[in-house]
Amino acid sequence: MIRDTTAGAGAGRSAFPPTRQSAIIALRSGSDPERRRALDTLTGIYWKPVYKYIRLHWHRDSDAAQDLTQSFFLAVLERDFFQDYDPSRARFRTFLRTCLDRFIMNEDRAAGRQKRGGDHERVSLDFGQAESEIHLTVGEDEPDRLFELEFVRSLLSGAVDTLRQEYHTGGKQRHFDLFERYDLDRADSGEKLSYGDLAGEFGLTIETVTNHLAAARRDFRRIVLDRLRAMTASEEEFREEIRTVLGIDAA
Amino acid sequence: MSKPVLGLILGAVLGALDGLTALFYPETAPQIVGIVIGSTVKGVIAGVIIGFVARKYQSLPIGIAVGLAVGLILAYLVAMMPDEQGNHYYVEIMIPGALVGLILGYVTQRYGRLPARAGH
Amino acid sequence: MSALSDDHLGSLRGLLDYPDLTGTRYEIRRKLAVGGMGSVYLAHDRALDRNVALKVLTIPDLSGERAARMMREAHVVARLEHPGIVPIHDVGRLSDGRVYYTMKYVEGATLEQFRQPETPLPDLLRLFQRVCEAVEFAHSRGVIHRDLKPANIMVGPFGEVLVMDWGIALAATLTRDPATTTPDSRSERASEAGHPVPGGESAGSYVPTPNTAAGTILGTPAYMSPEQARGETVDHRCDIHGLGAILYFLLTGRAPFEVFDSPASPDRIRKGEVTPPRTHDRRIPRRLEAICLKAIAPSPDDRYQSARHFTDDIVAYLDGLPVSAYRETPWEVALRWFSRNRFIVFIVVAYMVVRFLLLLWRGI
Repeated sequence: MIRDTTAGAGAGRSAFPPTRQSAIIALRSGSDPERRRALDTLTGIYWKPVYKYIRLHWHRDSDAAQDLTQSFFLAVLERDFFQDYDPSRARFRTFLRTCLDRFIMNEDRAAGRQKRGGDHERVSLDFGQAESEIHLTVGEDEPDRLFELEFVRSLLSGAVDTLRQEYHTGGKQRHFDLFERYDLDRADSGEKLSYGDLAGEFGLTIETVTNHLAAARRDFRRIVLDRLRAMTASEEEFREEIRTVLGIDAA
Repeated sequence: MSKPVLGLILGAVLGALDGLTALFYPETAPQIVGIVIGSTVKGVIAGVIIGFVARKYQSLPIGIAVGLAVGLILAYLVAMMPDEQGNHYYVEIMIPGALVGLILGYVTQRYGRLPARAGH
Repeated sequence: MSALSDDHLGSLRGLLDYPDLTGTRYEIRRKLAVGGMGSVYLAHDRALDRNVALKVLTIPDLSGERAARMMREAHVVARLEHPGIVPIHDVGRLSDGRVYYTMKYVEGATLEQFRQPETPLPDLLRLFQRVCEAVEFAHSRGVIHRDLKPANIMVGPFGEVLVMDWGIALAATLTRDPATTTPDSRSERASEAGHPVPGGESAGSYVPTPNTAAGTILGTPAYMSPEQARGETVDHRCDIHGLGAILYFLLTGRAPFEVFDSPASPDRIRKGEVTPPRTHDRRIPRRLEAICLKAIAPSPDDRYQSARHFTDDIVAYLDGLPVSAYRETPWEVALRWFSRNRFIVFIVVAYMVVRFLLLLWRGI
């Protein structure tokens, strides 16, 4: 009765891997390793937005920003910042930004304190990469929007990477190349590209191109939603976050 | 109730009230009973006539015009009769009389049941 | 991590939303709107060679249960043949698990767009009357809409009024797909036990009334009835509330519950605390405000018990007759009578003035 167009991907539940449990919820878990993992997930998505936010909104230089980012996430770990988070009061992203702002203000006040030394555990982050991306954030003045945009950027970048990895290990490199060529590179260069052109470029039939692209987009979407679910604590928040990611009624 | 009956009742009431306003003129006090009775009868006659007209013709302008006319004529007939001193009160009787007729015309057009149509 | 420029972001965002309709008989023409639950597209139905409105829900329906539910509901609703009712034609699932459904493409404006501050109130009320009639009809057939709001009312090019998105709210209120339940998640207390709707014709008109877990509000909470927001079982009177909310919008230009500016908002919705319309605009007649407030009363027992009674009061208001929702003071009764019977009042006053003048004249 219902036209289920998932037939191609393998009908039934096996086509959809179980979604990730919400890291936000896991933060409050009793189990220590679980909390650690949750924090890792969150850090993974949020460190770049935090760094860029410090650079662009708080106008710190690269070194200071690095330092602050490191210490912030350290403090998150050691002082259990996120333990206080109440999903019914605000979105996690807003909460995190508030924590960050407060953290930076406190650090400024205690400016006399010496720079954190190497005896502390450091999270390994590729600040060089982050710094090189700063120029991509074009003039977003409003801190909320800035942070939001960077979050989305971080989320989607991560998803692209995951997709690349999945396809590489799954022997579907072609799929990814097509996806990259059509949905990413073309956006950059703005050139008009048709499926026919792609087919010629890659030596495939148009039908294959269509199917591969459809599959890649499907998987991309799945990955994005997966990660997003991990970032949210409730169905309602998830729905709202989707709209943020899609750019619908932003702010 | 039907329009003629409505006209009758309302005519009687308005006629009586109109007659009673003669009390504002102390010189008419001795004849007040006669005035009120006469005024009431005038109102009844006017109301019945106007009611039947309303039954026949459903048109507000017609109803008002007829009401005015009937009220005026009947009031004139009354005003023609002088009182014991031989005074005539044309204005005091005819103008209000016309207005009462007007009210009767309007009300019988707007309210009151029409007879059921025969032969449908 | 790859470095994504803003252009990249735009492109990726676009394709995240865009429905992949390969394998279906529809093809997208253009995007029409974005709503709370998903996006609406103008699509072409190849099989029947006509245009349809195609809505895609944002949330993937991994187990297929939402779509199945929607299909069942659509069957019930499709039996409603009324000029004011637009049921969904078709339900399907995209390859990425999202549910889509199609319905008649109506050219026109939603009530939100149609209503302007300068639109005459009687016109709006007459439109509203037709909405009530459509809803009354549906109730008489045992169907509840559950998601009445201005965005779901279309005013067509000929002034016709169409109530859209029937058969959605029920089916779409699954809170979590069962496949994704986590230890902390709120469980879905969907009850498949039928709840009879008054006036339902046949046994097939039992409409399941699911509970939505508290906090997981679907669509626009701004128009939602308190019992729905609390996740309780609902009956046709939640539609009465919906109609009242639409009336509220027509009167004030706002939703009864302005959304989510303060943390107290969700609480207010659950309790049904509403700012009276006249607070926003003093010109709104008291009787009309009373009608509106009665319809959106927090407790279903306090509302109009049928759309018919609601319509009756609206008509009474338009005719200048007393309305059941408002107890008039004697002064107001008199005023209303006077405004209906201006001519008589004028004549009587004229009579008294004439009498008075005559008296004066005589007195000279």
